[in-house]
Amino acid sequence: MTDSTAQCKTGLLGCLGLSWFFRLLSSSIGQKFVMGLTGLLLCGFLVAHLAGNLLLFAGAEPFNHYAHALHSQWELLALAEFGLVVLFLAHVYLAVTTTIGNYRARRDFYVLKQSKVPGRIIGANSWMFASGSVVLGFVILHLIDLRLGLRSSLHYLPEENFEAPFRNTLAALSDPISRVVYFLGAIILGVHLSHGFASAFQSLGLNHPKYTPLIKIIGKIFGVIIAVGFASIVVFVPGMWR
Amino acid sequence: MNHVASKNLNLTLKIWRQAGPKQPGGLKTYQVRGISTDMSFLEMLDVLNEQLIASGEEPVAFDHDCREGICGTCGVVINGQAHGPDSGTTTCQLHMRRFHDGDTIVIEPWLAKAFPIVRDLIVDRSAFDRIIQAGGFVSVNTGNAPEANTTLVPHHVQQDAMNAAACIGCGACVASCKNASAMLFVSAKVSHLASLPQGQAERSKRVLNMVATMDAEHFGNCTNTGECEAACPAKIKLSNIAQLNREYMKAALLSKE
Repeated sequence: MTDSTAQCKTGLLGCLGLSWFFRLLSSSIGQKFVMGLTGLLLCGFLVAHLAGNLLLFAGAEPFNHYAHALHSQWELLALAEFGLVVLFLAHVYLAVTTTIGNYRARRDFYVLKQSKVPGRIIGANSWMFASGSVVLGFVILHLIDLRLGLRSSLHYLPEENFEAPFRNTLAALSDPISRVVYFLGAIILGVHLSHGFASAFQSLGLNHPKYTPLIKIIGKIFGVIIAVGFASIVVFVPGMWR
Repeated sequence: MNHVASKNLNLTLKIWRQAGPKQPGGLKTYQVRGISTDMSFLEMLDVLNEQLIASGEEPVAFDHDCREGICGTCGVVINGQAHGPDSGTTTCQLHMRRFHDGDTIVIEPWLAKAFPIVRDLIVDRSAFDRIIQAGGFVSVNTGNAPEANTTLVPHHVQQDAMNAAACIGCGACVASCKNASAMLFVSAKVSHLASLPQGQAERSKRVLNMVATMDAEHFGNCTNTGECEAACPAKIKLSNIAQLNREYMKAALLSKE
């Protein structure tokens, strides 16, 4: 019997010689690597998304031009949306499986527990799953509001209308439920990033005495910029263009 | 010399008592009197046990061996901190002068699914032994010592390897991690051998097998909180975990294993 037929007994991945890939993705380090990588790529999306949305401060005209220019690249946009969905689902799926694994590994909890990290009382790192869950809830509502246009309480302009991107965004931002959820979502996202950004580098194995202190500081600043940037849109934009 | 005169302490101890692996456990309160501040934490437990034996009670079971911080046998969670409040020390190196008269001290065993409780404060850390076994052997030639300059190791590499080799395998990293992750322990072992020429022959195989065993023993995942580094009596650095991540990805993607 040849090696290839022997391998085929282990399934399709074995036949393709990819059982190593399955082993990698099912290992704790491989899973954290993918979490870090998807997290950092999603950070890239956040930067682009915030930059575009800050045009809301410039008014209807610039924002609508930007939105239509973006939507005219529909092939690239479809590809980017598909990529984002894959990144997001992978990140969320691995968050759930690793958190379940972590919970099972700890199982028993101490009667008394104190951190030995100097100055730490409670850190964002302990709340990554909770903060991530809040962000997930916010993203779902956000997609329903503005990507899918399914909120019956909002008055949407049809997409053909030039004014639609700005008016529909303003309609969502003026809705009390969306406003509160978006605001909380933006703040909690910042908390999530304040640990997640630097942590992703560590999971990717990128730790270096010359760069790690800087990466940690950039992570905190990045969290603040994203939180303040998105929250400022929620707080100020509806009042500016009523 | 600034000598602090020793004092005597009266303490309330709340100690986890559990008769066996499957038995229910709980905190039991004891009083100890006249504990000298010059005593080590384990000597204080010895005093308690003398007291318990005299009164016909079962003494508190706890692991200990060298009592000078090099063997990695002792280790309990003291007031919620692995090896107590000091950094870079084991339980046996902790002195009672860190406590005050009238203090209440909560003492619990390491808690992790991979470290089942044997009795009271003793846990079974053989999962660490199985990870070490999975790492295989290191090729070291026997016979006459080789010529000193045939295998050159730069000083800073020696230092990194030695710093990683300082791990005494006590399990404080697992105990202090909210996910009961063994990444700091495994990373110390992997980094130590991957840094030295003697460890090159089995470099890829070692990291793949040790991580596979770590996962199979049901240790949790690393969420980069740094609690392990702060609790480690041997001051193993988080940078070792990044090196472990690199070593593992490199072996998984590029080796023929």
